[in-house]
Amino acid sequence: MTDQLGALTTIFTEFYYWVTVVLMFLIHVGFCMYEVGASRYKHHQHTLMKNTMLIPLVTVTWFFFGWWIYWAFPTGPGLAPSIMNESAALITDESTFSAKWYAPNTEFMAINLGDHISGVFWAAFLLFSWTAASIVSGAIIERITTFAFGILAIAIGSVFWTIDAAWGWHFDGWMLKLLGYHDAYASGVIHAIAGGFALGVLIVLGPRIGKFTSSGEPRNIGPRNPWLVTIGLFLIYTGFWGFYAACNIPIYDVGNPDDYGLGKEYWTATNIYVTPTTLSGITMNFLMSLSGGLLAGYVIAKGDPFWTYSSGLAGIICASAGNDLYHPIQAMVIGMIGVVIAYKLHYWVERKFKIDDAVGAVAVHGYAGVVGLIICGFVLNGYPSSGYSVGAMWDGSTYASINPLGQLIGAFIMFVVLGLIPGYILAKILNGMGKLRIPRDVEIAGLDYEIMETAKEDEKAVSAATK
Amino acid sequence: MATVTNWIDHLSADEVVGAVYPGAGSSETLLVILGIVIWIGWHVITARSESEELSRLARKKHGANDHKNNITDW
Repeated sequence: MTDQLGALTTIFTEFYYWVTVVLMFLIHVGFCMYEVGASRYKHHQHTLMKNTMLIPLVTVTWFFFGWWIYWAFPTGPGLAPSIMNESAALITDESTFSAKWYAPNTEFMAINLGDHISGVFWAAFLLFSWTAASIVSGAIIERITTFAFGILAIAIGSVFWTIDAAWGWHFDGWMLKLLGYHDAYASGVIHAIAGGFALGVLIVLGPRIGKFTSSGEPRNIGPRNPWLVTIGLFLIYTGFWGFYAACNIPIYDVGNPDDYGLGKEYWTATNIYVTPTTLSGITMNFLMSLSGGLLAGYVIAKGDPFWTYSSGLAGIICASAGNDLYHPIQAMVIGMIGVVIAYKLHYWVERKFKIDDAVGAVAVHGYAGVVGLIICGFVLNGYPSSGYSVGAMWDGSTYASINPLGQLIGAFIMFVVLGLIPGYILAKILNGMGKLRIPRDVEIAGLDYEIMETAKEDEKAVSAATK
Repeated sequence: MATVTNWIDHLSADEVVGAVYPGAGSSETLLVILGIVIWIGWHVITARSESEELSRLARKKHGANDHKNNITDW
């Protein structure tokens, strides 16, 4: 950096993403509080540690291969040519945004005076990875082994979500070109895939002991500490602000010859697809979709705090696919629709298929995300999916416009192809190894039994010594 | 090991070298191998200890409410 204005722009962008990472950390704090609040006393510490240890596991694997996958896989490979090198192979050449620069042994994956952006961008995406894994974590509490969860967290956090991000979130992604896929704030690329993955695992894992009666009727195992759940969800809302900011580029000249080539400078904030939006507008939409979710959730759950708070989250998730362009009232109504469908589907699936989703994660993230993608296809029908070009569906060399069919197919890819199926297969493998579920006697006694027993002995010893 | 021993010389060069961490240009692959060994090793160690812990606890066959005797008051 040798000129002051260029340095200011670069350092501002670096600091911008740095702040989003710090804010997004609150999502994980919230998830930890939420899970501890939702689990029973005898499982608390293991529940907390399970969710905590996904941080290092996903982080190190994101460093080793997750980030590389994002930059290597936009073409499929083999589904649509890259606009950078016109090849449909993995992007590992010498081009500017090639995965070659993001292999763990390159000089850009470290402190490098010539690169102020890669690290914070890496970290912002990593925080998305934690979120994807943490969504799965809540659904499967009290009966999965920490080992199995670690493997599943790495799979969703450092492999499958990053593949879907390369396909449907990268500016060069094949889903934009062939389908006109649009998902500005990750209804699908984070939430639908994580919800689908959780469902795939739950099918194999089975319900908690006592969840269903002998005749198959579900029993409610409500949150042990609703106040911890409340604070947890407030923190997740807070972190979601950072998530929204992190999905944008804060200041960018889309008129640059290397981009749209407008023939004039046009500085703007952009979404992840490098198409214009404003931080101001998305802030309104964030709050209006949160409000829509809360309003609908309060009514449909009859004021139950657990579901009302979760519905606020589901409202945002449902509107997120198009919140870069929606009117705030559209965002609110879409949030309401998503909540009603997700809530109804949760209880229908629970009764019909005996699925025990302990925190409603499949509904709040998966179903609301899928509904949001589909609605986006209708409301934003005809908008360009990219600024680089506009073309027909299935063309491949240009970018299709946003459309209902493309969004429907995209939702299927996110929830089923990259979510449910991998989750199911991996859970089957782990189950076959005898590593998926904790023994029945441990589940009954409580994962924390020995910890609690030791603490009680310590208490007695200290008490005896002080008499 | 030091990649930079004089910042004035480093930054006044015609082309400033960006990578300034210790061992830049020669140690990255070894560091990645070390990191992967630590990562895989962690799984092996913790999987073994978790299996032992779960087996030990399962053998004791505690009841669903036995843990309540162990709730501390401090």
